[in-house]
Amino acid sequence: MKKIIAMLLLAALLLTGVSALAEGKTIVYWTMWESTEPQGQVIKEAVAAYEAESGNTVDLQFKGRTGMREGLQPALDAGTVIDLFDEDMDRVNVSWVDYLLDIEEMAKAANYEETANAGLIGAAREITGGTLKSIPYQPFVFAFFYNIDIFNEAGIEAPPATWDELLEACEKIKAAGYVPITSDDAYIITNLGYHMARLIGEEGVRRVVDNGEWAEEPAVLKAAEAYADLAEKGYLSPTIASSVWPTNQNGEFAMGESAIYLNGSWLPNEVKEMTGPDFNWGCFSYPAVEGGIHGVEAANFGSQVLAINKDSQVAQEAFDLIVKLTKGEFDAKLSIESVGIPADANNTEWPAMLASAKSVMDNLSVRYSWAAGIENNINMTAYIKQAFQQLCGGQLSPEQFVETLENASN
Amino acid sequence: MKLNRTMVVVFLTPALLLFFAIFVYPIARTVVMSLFSVENVTSSMNEWTFTGLKNYRDLVQTSLFRQSMWNIFRIWLVGGLVVMSFALLFAVILNSGIRFKRFFRAVIYLPNIISAVALATMWLQYVYAPRWGFLTNLFSWLGLEGLAATQWTAAGNKFWALTFAYCFGMVGYHMLIFSSGIEKIPHEFYEASSIDGASKPRQFTQITLPLLKGVIKTNITMWTITSVGFFVWSQLFSTVTTDLDTITPMVYLYLQVFSTGNTVMTREAGLGAAVGVTLGLCVVLIFVLTNLFIRDDELEY
Repeated sequence: MKKIIAMLLLAALLLTGVSALAEGKTIVYWTMWESTEPQGQVIKEAVAAYEAESGNTVDLQFKGRTGMREGLQPALDAGTVIDLFDEDMDRVNVSWVDYLLDIEEMAKAANYEETANAGLIGAAREITGGTLKSIPYQPFVFAFFYNIDIFNEAGIEAPPATWDELLEACEKIKAAGYVPITSDDAYIITNLGYHMARLIGEEGVRRVVDNGEWAEEPAVLKAAEAYADLAEKGYLSPTIASSVWPTNQNGEFAMGESAIYLNGSWLPNEVKEMTGPDFNWGCFSYPAVEGGIHGVEAANFGSQVLAINKDSQVAQEAFDLIVKLTKGEFDAKLSIESVGIPADANNTEWPAMLASAKSVMDNLSVRYSWAAGIENNINMTAYIKQAFQQLCGGQLSPEQFVETLENASN
Repeated sequence: MKLNRTMVVVFLTPALLLFFAIFVYPIARTVVMSLFSVENVTSSMNEWTFTGLKNYRDLVQTSLFRQSMWNIFRIWLVGGLVVMSFALLFAVILNSGIRFKRFFRAVIYLPNIISAVALATMWLQYVYAPRWGFLTNLFSWLGLEGLAATQWTAAGNKFWALTFAYCFGMVGYHMLIFSSGIEKIPHEFYEASSIDGASKPRQFTQITLPLLKGVIKTNITMWTITSVGFFVWSQLFSTVTTDLDTITPMVYLYLQVFSTGNTVMTREAGLGAAVGVTLGLCVVLIFVLTNLFIRDDELEY
């Protein structure tokens, strides 16, 4: 009897071993997307294709943005097996840098950079002190998106490249019966960040925000005067001071009542159900301002990135999966389905809705971080937002705006 | 009956161990953490740097945190008065023998079973929407153009818009607690007082209110606890970036601990722990004050 039991156990062990070999390795992948989002859908397809080709298994877990931001690091600290994860480029390479595997050699061996976006790879490498620890995908650019049909109807021949040209365009749009510029509470502060960065660069913006130099830095008043001027001339949405995202994005802009909205290149995807396929998308970089140090060549651009846990036992397999996700067929599919920018340089065709963003992206040489640093001080963002909304709504003068923020920072 | 000590130990130990692991340890760790500079909640203790009361001093000196405390105090006080008043009023009306009592009780309680996300979206995108919102349309229809033009979610108004929307959903919950207290009061009291000629308002002030002291205390404590944890509504009324009108200490804590905003910032779990301890002390303080000012008369009925 004992012999029979021993034989059975041995057979079971052998079977388990054989099946494990047959199943290959398992890669645990935590993603920031939801399974219902276009990105999630394409990732699912790419994972299925990878599994079929490699014989490996991917434990794909859709965590969403909040799940990643709240849960990834505690899970890693608790020893949860997570081989691969993705999130925003800055968050991964700054907040979670201690958990990242250096993938420089793997990228070299795969000749990865030959067909990668050099600017984004450079940005990812720069954040981690010159070593590649993440692979960018789903690139984005933050710029003024506009409704080409409204521009055409207003007789605007070319998108504005300078502030004066923007004022001219706004006048024509207003005359044509549209609201020239709109925004929501979630993004309105980026207008101020960009304007100040045009004048004094991102370093200057960070200095003002971090050190509370609102009254000391003349660029603050200049930027405030520029937006007070827009408000006074009626170029800003009458509800700009109270609009809670996505009210104006979905209402005024997507419905074709307003012409211009400063936002990321994810905007067409977010509103495509409202705009329909006939919406003519345009994009132009934040215009150069008089006496500024940056022009249309500077903007916030970035991407999501994929990174491998330094303790992963399946690092090479995880890297192969990254290649599957970010090159060729599935990068193109991700771009089409999510109306996003492709990461693979060989995928030269951008979605039609983002065609005009390509020229903006191609002309960028200076990278700002998010909102050019205007949200760099967690204790000031709410004050800046409220004061700027009131400035745009005509409730604060430029001088009062500066005074309000100077007082708030003390 | 002879006390079997072994059995006491056997039955109590698992419960005590769980209590210590789930409640005592996290509380103690949070209190200790609040005295250190700690980057992440899961950072090991050898990465902590002792800073004494610095986190608390920083909080006191940070105007945004003071604003968040002011917001939550107003939500607690003003919102509390409104919610408790309506909850008690509805509870009294429902227990006064009206018809369709169960229907009305269900209707008033209904907002509690709807997701806060759905409710907040309804308020923001339908009721308060500046151009085609319910309030705009209603006031336009009434010819009150001044009110119709009000931007309910503009700075200054947004706090009250948020508080009103939140209170709307909370009345039913506290009404049920009041109602259960009123139902326990014997009808004979009311019958006897009616025979003696007491009016309904007099019955309310002389019978109902005094006999509801314990329930009132429970309601105040529950309201305080939910107010201190005010988070979801605040997040929904300012979706991406924080807002002076909607920030609460829990949102501030969340920002510091998880750095979930658009910009990646240094996380300060120690500071977050100090916020948590401060909020815990607020709840204890209110609980003590409630017990001090609202004494149970230990009536038996």
